[in-house]
Amino acid sequence: MVKNCIYVFLILFVYLLPVQAVQLVTVSGYIRDAKTGEDLIGATVSIKELSGRGAGTNAYGYFSLSLPSGQYQITAQYMGYEPQIQQLDLTKPRKIDFLLAPRDNSLGEVVVTSQRKNDNITKLDMGVQKLDTKDIQNIPVIFGEKDVLKTIQLLPGIKSAGEGSSGFNVRGGAVDQNLILLDEATVYNASHLMGFFSVFNSDAIKDITVYKGNEPAEYGGRLSSALDIKMNDGNDKKIGVSGGIGLISSRLTVEGPLITDKGSFIVSARRTYADLFLKLSKDTTLNKAQLYFYDLNAKANYKLDAKNRIFLSGYFGKDVLGLGNTFGINWGNSTGTFRWNHLFSDRLFSNTSLIASNYEYRIDINTGIALNIISRIQDYGLKQDFQYFSGTNSTLKFGFNSIYHKIIPGAITASSNVDLKSLTNKNAWENSAYISHEYTFNDHFSMIYGARLSAFSLLGSGNFYTYDSTGIAKDTTYYKSGQFVKTYFNLEPRITFNYILNQQSSLKASYARNVQNLHLISNSTSGNPTDLWIPSSNNVKPEIADQVSMGYYHNFDDNLYEFSAEVYYKNLQNQIDYRNGAQLNFNENVESQLLYGSGRAYGLELFLKKKYGRFNGWLSYDLSRTERKFDGINNDTYYPARQDRTHDVSIVGMYELNKRWSLSATWVYNTGNAVTFPTGKYEIDGKTVMLYSERNANRMPAYHRLDIGATWIVKKTSKFESSWTFSLYNAYGQENAYTITFQNDEADPTKTVAIQTTLFRFVPSFSYNFKF
Amino acid sequence: MRKNRTALLTILVITVFLSSCQKVIQLDLNSSVPQLVIQGNVYDEAGPYIVSITKTVNFDVPSIYPPVTNATVIISDNTGKADTLSHTTDGNYVTSTLQGVIGRTYTLNVTVDGKKYTSKSTMPDSVGIDSLYFKKSPFGRGTLVTLDIMNQPGKENYYRVIHFENDVQATGFSVFSENTNDVEKISYSFMPTTDNTRNAPQKLEKGDVITVWLECIDKGVFEYFRTANREGGQNASPANPVSNISDGALGYFNACTVRKAKIVYQQ
Repeated sequence: MVKNCIYVFLILFVYLLPVQAVQLVTVSGYIRDAKTGEDLIGATVSIKELSGRGAGTNAYGYFSLSLPSGQYQITAQYMGYEPQIQQLDLTKPRKIDFLLAPRDNSLGEVVVTSQRKNDNITKLDMGVQKLDTKDIQNIPVIFGEKDVLKTIQLLPGIKSAGEGSSGFNVRGGAVDQNLILLDEATVYNASHLMGFFSVFNSDAIKDITVYKGNEPAEYGGRLSSALDIKMNDGNDKKIGVSGGIGLISSRLTVEGPLITDKGSFIVSARRTYADLFLKLSKDTTLNKAQLYFYDLNAKANYKLDAKNRIFLSGYFGKDVLGLGNTFGINWGNSTGTFRWNHLFSDRLFSNTSLIASNYEYRIDINTGIALNIISRIQDYGLKQDFQYFSGTNSTLKFGFNSIYHKIIPGAITASSNVDLKSLTNKNAWENSAYISHEYTFNDHFSMIYGARLSAFSLLGSGNFYTYDSTGIAKDTTYYKSGQFVKTYFNLEPRITFNYILNQQSSLKASYARNVQNLHLISNSTSGNPTDLWIPSSNNVKPEIADQVSMGYYHNFDDNLYEFSAEVYYKNLQNQIDYRNGAQLNFNENVESQLLYGSGRAYGLELFLKKKYGRFNGWLSYDLSRTERKFDGINNDTYYPARQDRTHDVSIVGMYELNKRWSLSATWVYNTGNAVTFPTGKYEIDGKTVMLYSERNANRMPAYHRLDIGATWIVKKTSKFESSWTFSLYNAYGQENAYTITFQNDEADPTKTVAIQTTLFRFVPSFSYNFKF
Repeated sequence: MRKNRTALLTILVITVFLSSCQKVIQLDLNSSVPQLVIQGNVYDEAGPYIVSITKTVNFDVPSIYPPVTNATVIISDNTGKADTLSHTTDGNYVTSTLQGVIGRTYTLNVTVDGKKYTSKSTMPDSVGIDSLYFKKSPFGRGTLVTLDIMNQPGKENYYRVIHFENDVQATGFSVFSENTNDVEKISYSFMPTTDNTRNAPQKLEKGDVITVWLECIDKGVFEYFRTANREGGQNASPANPVSNISDGALGYFNACTVRKAKIVYQQ
């Protein structure tokens, strides 16, 4: 299979890589926002004379088109911006930077139909969801804190991992099977405050793209999805300040030029003050409690010259939870990325990134003896990406990525002689190289194909155990520091075809393999900050997913409405589950607690979106199934994974009432999670013990909820803007089950009852936002 | 214990913060075929020792567990001594001659309706309670009961703590293990509860008597109670505790040493 793939790809590369008969001339440049100077990602330039064919800008707003010399009319456009048209006499290479003015989103303005794009039909994007930052602004979420991760959960194929959770499941995958990148750095825990907030401050974010399993070859390392989040670069024209004051959090963003038109910076900070409410409590334990988080995004960029540009970006966030001096836990991510864009020629774009990422938690206990436990996962990486634009019909991307992972599962320090050993650190080196080629055959048929070769090595030092099928250590080997314990090589082919039926509809198909070498060990329903990441090892094999998908895309009413239907089937290997009663926390032999099995997931995703007008929004429906199979569980047959939900519906509507008021509402419905409820009970030493039979044979009650929101623009001038946002989460107060527990009836201990816990009913919130 | 405290605290703070609401709901749960539940202890104290055999019932019926009265129950040790237990009442079977001895391995054989279930348990060395005292909880206003013991060095030791408040056995399973190379005093603290329904801390009153049993248990019994303690709550895939009895019987068979101490609450 793999060998055949290699042959096919080699043949494709040889035949499709351009042999240029005609001398081509290149027009290249950047597309930016005229007001702020922000690069516009995914903006398009199209050539009228080539029946609208053209190119899109890359992640840095750069485009390059190579055409036979001649006269052309070139149009640059981007959703929400006024398009620009230029006449071009192309005889020698030209550089054109387009500065597009944001379209004043004033009421009742008729959008000229020719400006409506059918990118979803013509582009090779499949299983991809992009979010408009505008949508995030308007969609109501809990506590009024607009949130990227909450908003993507309203899109097809992406499901919330639980009430208020920022964890999400993509096409039946687990929460840890999502690659979350913030300016190329991996974010290992995207949750604040047990998941009720995500770590992404939406004020600092420019672009969000989710790839649902068939990501381009430059992404890798997780089975289910890649969520690529890019931070704003900052306004390079003038200083700007914006912020918001809310019920439980406030935020402030400052941005401005370092040197006008040459470089800019942005700093965005956020802090919650939920613990201020605890201070009001009369309980002396509670009013000394700490409960807050903060985060800080910062980024700067500078154009050295026309060919070189550097970026420095960072994120720092922390959650603090504590009870006086006796107990405290805090956790947080920090990431840093240094990037260098270089144009080797106007057709060869290069980006070099140095990336560092750290996730850690720390527990402090002081009950006479001061004790603290620190756990970390640290990444240091080098990433090199090249893009070669060889014509209007061919783009080649290739590069490599090398990451050193250092995992400190638990290091203990104590003020006195406490007999607790720190756990052995784990070191791993992950290398990958990729190549992918996007090729347009003609007006109807295009494809992107490529492959990623990944090598993952577990390194010493330390004792490495081999476990038998019952979890008993068979054998121990000591490896020195830097010695290779185990290396896994994997080839991950990826291919997507697009067949454009006409300007309104297309058919796409894709296949992709993904491999995952870092695994999150967690057996709790909600996920904890103390959940541990472990590398693939002599016991734990890389997780592998193969996904095939097909889709039909149709736009109607002049691209006013977009419709898509996608189906997928995914086969999963080397999935991880836990032995009964597994001891996952602070266990040197945590690998002995694991079970390995397989899985499959399949489904249908329907999506209808109205993109323009006073009223816009979308409707999303998923019909899906995701199952696992493990030896010894449910007689070795397939059973539904916890996140298996047959039906999942999201409806999002936004309505601009007048120039001052806009309203929004979302409604979600989903089948309850697959769970294990008791089938009986018995008594041990006076305690009622539940009897369990089949794994995940039951269902939580179906979940549904309506959220409503409103934005009131108090003042809007070019100098100062202010607005209020109001929201009501769970507007009709549905008592959704967060957990169901089984216990003795308090009134009558001879009976047992099921108790449902509901977290949120009618959560109102408001915040004041300003910008100057 | 430390982990439990962390979890408890987290849940407490989050619960207060979110002021969630709870209610009893009706669920249509699957039923199950009644299964055998065996529970037996052999102590290093004089007998008789009891083995109780009952059956499980469905979740939605009253918690009255049908006793099994027609079983053949034999406990033997590795020196060849065997004792056939006789049925008294309610599925309880008692020994007549057997005496628990430290270091011996005991085998339980139960035959019910022609089906055989067996279990083995070894009685470890005994460890005594050095002292037993009350201590103010570092969290909140509760009171902890603390026992100090001298752990035996050089091997993994497993302990189970059972306590009674005014002669009523508290529900819940407390086990812990220690593995050190030094002779070392170790402390174990717990919050006394007698509330059979909720495991919620209960305020002690002056004159309340707390009786503590410290059992030294073997690994199989430790695994049983450790896994029994982890089920429910936030566990994503609850399962039955890992029993040391064969052939799918639920419950445990425990040959252990036991040391007892008593303390009266004065405040």
